[in-house]
Parts: sequence; C-alpha cells; structure tokens
Amino acid sequence: MKMYSKSLNFYYGDFQALHDVNLEFQKNQVTALIGPSGCGKSTFLRCLNRMNDLIPISRVEGDIMLEGMNIYDAKVDVVELRRRVGMVFQKPNPFPKTIFENVAYGLRVNGVKDKTYLEDKVEESLKHAALWEEVKDRLHSSALGLSGGQQQRLCIARALAVEPEILLMDEPASALDPIATQKIEELIHILKRKYTIIIVTHSMQQAARVSDVTAFFYMGRLIEVGDTEKMFTRPSNKQTEDYITGRFG
Amino acid sequence: METHFHAQLEKMRVKVLEMSAYAQKAIEDACRALLTRDSDLAQKVIDGDIIINKLECEIDDMTLRLLALDQPMAVDLRAIVGMMRVSVNLERVGDEAVNIAEKAMFLATRPPLPFSEQLQELSDIALDMFRAAITAFREGDPDLSREICSWDSQCNAQDVKVIKDLVNYMGKEAPAVERAVSTILTSRSLERIGDLSTNIGEAVVFIVEGVSIKHRLCR
Repeated sequence: MKMYSKSLNFYYGDFQALHDVNLEFQKNQVTALIGPSGCGKSTFLRCLNRMNDLIPISRVEGDIMLEGMNIYDAKVDVVELRRRVGMVFQKPNPFPKTIFENVAYGLRVNGVKDKTYLEDKVEESLKHAALWEEVKDRLHSSALGLSGGQQQRLCIARALAVEPEILLMDEPASALDPIATQKIEELIHILKRKYTIIIVTHSMQQAARVSDVTAFFYMGRLIEVGDTEKMFTRPSNKQTEDYITGRFG
Repeated sequence: METHFHAQLEKMRVKVLEMSAYAQKAIEDACRALLTRDSDLAQKVIDGDIIINKLECEIDDMTLRLLALDQPMAVDLRAIVGMMRVSVNLERVGDEAVNIAEKAMFLATRPPLPFSEQLQELSDIALDMFRAAITAFREGDPDLSREICSWDSQCNAQDVKVIKDLVNYMGKEAPAVERAVSTILTSRSLERIGDLSTNIGEAVVFIVEGVSIKHRLCR
C-alpha cells in the first residue's frame, strides 16, 4: 500500500467536511474519487498533499500515512511532501513563461542548475506527458500559446519533472474538449505504470474508463470503495447505485 | 427522480413484455394447432412471426441508442444488456413456434400417430417454463428464475422419452417414418423452448443480482 487515510476528519471552521474517512491507495493503481458536488472528494484529495493547509480556518484530525510517514507530523517538510505527491488542477495553469521554463521550474526551485540535466529532465517529462512531439521545436515559445489540452499536459509534465511518487488530479479534463480529454485519459493509463494516481472526476464514464478502484463519497463520508468494474456494474450500496445511475445528485 | 433516460428504459421494458406476449401466443397456438390438427391456426402462427421479428429489431435499436447516448451504469446497464438477451431468446421462441406450426400443417394431412398425450405433457412443461420466465422478468423475480432453471431437466427427460418411443415405433411401423420424424422434430422444438425459457430466467437473475448463472456456473 502506497498511502492511506485513517479516521480522517476535516473541518472548515465549524463545518465538518469529511467524516471518519478510511481509504487505501495501492501503488501503481488509479483511484477515482466520485460523488456529487460538495461531497468532500476534492477536500479529501487536497488533504493528501496538505494543500488545505493554505486555508486558515481549516483543521484536520486523523492520519494520512505515506509509506509509513504521517504527512501531518510536525516534522514533515511540506515542500518535500508536495514534491512526492504532485498535483494537477482542473484548469490548466501554466506560468507565463516558456514551455521549457514551465517544466524546469520545480527543478530550479529545488536548486538544480546543471544545464544538461535540466534539458534531459525537461525532455523526459514532456515525453512522459505525451507532449514532446508537439512542442520539441518550440520549447522556448510561451506556454500560453499552447491549446488547452496541451497546456494541461504541460502542467502534468511540470508535475512529473520533480519525480513525484503520487499524482493527484482534480478534474484534470473538465475544461478540455473530447479529443484533449481522450489524450489525458490515455496518458493516465501510461502514467500508472510508474506513478500512483488519485483522480477526482465528475464524469462517471471517465472514472470507469481510467481507474482501477473507485471510491464514492456522499456528504463528507466514504460510502463505498471497490474495484471499478464492480462499482459500475453491481455496486453493493444503494446510495452508490442511485448516484451512478443518475437517480440523485 | 424520473429522468428521460429512465422513461426510455421503461419503454424498452414494455416493448420486451409486448414481444413476450406475442411469443407466448405463438407457442400456445402452435401447440394447439399440433394437438388439434388445425392447419389454419398453424398458418396463422407462421404468418404472425414477422411481428415478433420486427419487435426484436425495434428492441435492438433501442438498446443501441440507450447504450450510445446515455452510457448507463450498474442496474441500468444490466437491465439493457439483460433485456437484449431476453429479446434474442424471445425471437428464437417465435422461430420454434413456427417450426412446430410447419410440422403441425404436415401432420394434419396424414393419419395421426398415438403420441398426442406425450406431446401434450411436453408442451405443458415447455409452456409452464415460458410463462414462468415471463412472470419472472415482469416481476424481477430471481427466485422464480432459478426455479425455472431447475425444471429444465424434467423438460429434457420428457423430450428424450418421446424420441425414444418414436424411434421404437418407427422400427415397427415403417410407413409412419416420415410422420415420426416430424414429431421428433416437434418434440425437439418444445425442448428448445424449455432451454430458451431457462435463458430468459438467467437474464433476469443477471438484471436483478448482477451475477451470471449461465451454463450452470455459480448457480
């Protein structure tokens, strides 16, 4: 097991957004988090690399363990944690820099100066993000000139450059057209060979297509988790079935 | 919450029930035509098969449309796949009714063989199985479906008995060979209707419980 949460509760001030969530993530598997808006799936995702620390009134109880280390331990270096647990957001958010500098950014922040190493790493990351062939001749052009789908893959390349172990994806294709979405989904299938992936999606079909395991959240609680095939053909829980068949939510 | 999709799914279910009503009438009439030597009724069964075939095509279209446009999940996905299986089996039931009707027309023009009681018994079993399969589908009843599967051996045994007796009869009555062969084929059609009813029962278990009990696996 790569990572798990144990008795996780999360509060925004007085409001409890997550209730006693126990969820395991296996290495090299894709886990999809699904549920209606406001169910806590994105909140839970952001707990996994402590992105919620940035919200002043928030509070966490319980544990999240990453290979034996409690990520909420006071001694944990949050920057290093976020290097190990990278994140891709809903909307592509490239920096207003060149394609090359976007991918090299995390490495430079971590003190890498060797030009050859940087060039190799940028190329490798862009290849892993299935973008290299499309941008190799214009690495020093602005990233803002790329299409939405290319920008999202650039953000994935940027996340991969710092060699994370886990990739968190918060609705990574929701702002993209069907072709760009398909490319991201194909990429997820390839990336899971090397990374553990946790994805929040509102598209049930996307969850069914890309994930190995699906977890259904409702009103801040984990209702059911299981193999994706079973979850989408014969879920055990009535609430899960009602949600994925569109009877509520 | 009743969605447009669920209304379409209900329409499909009603269409399958409509098809099953035609299939049931076809077997009932085919058996009656056989046992009462009624050629006119047999001809009606043959002529009526086109309606069952048309309904199968309509259900195929609905299946494709719902799968492509709504991408259903869980119980809805199982319902569509299950209903498609039911409709395929209903179409075959219609074909078997036509086979029986064709033999009934031939046999009605020849002197009767002394096997009507045995055939009546077999047709009663096959019809009971079919009616129960449709009830199980209509009510979504997996217990009744499993019961139907358990009746199939009785249906097979009666078919074997009829065939054995007819083979013996042929040995003694050479001029009756042609009629006996037709009767054997009729018996085989009734046995097939039992099998197809079992398939429908299996589809109902799949729709309701999401498990496959085909080929006597995990029954």
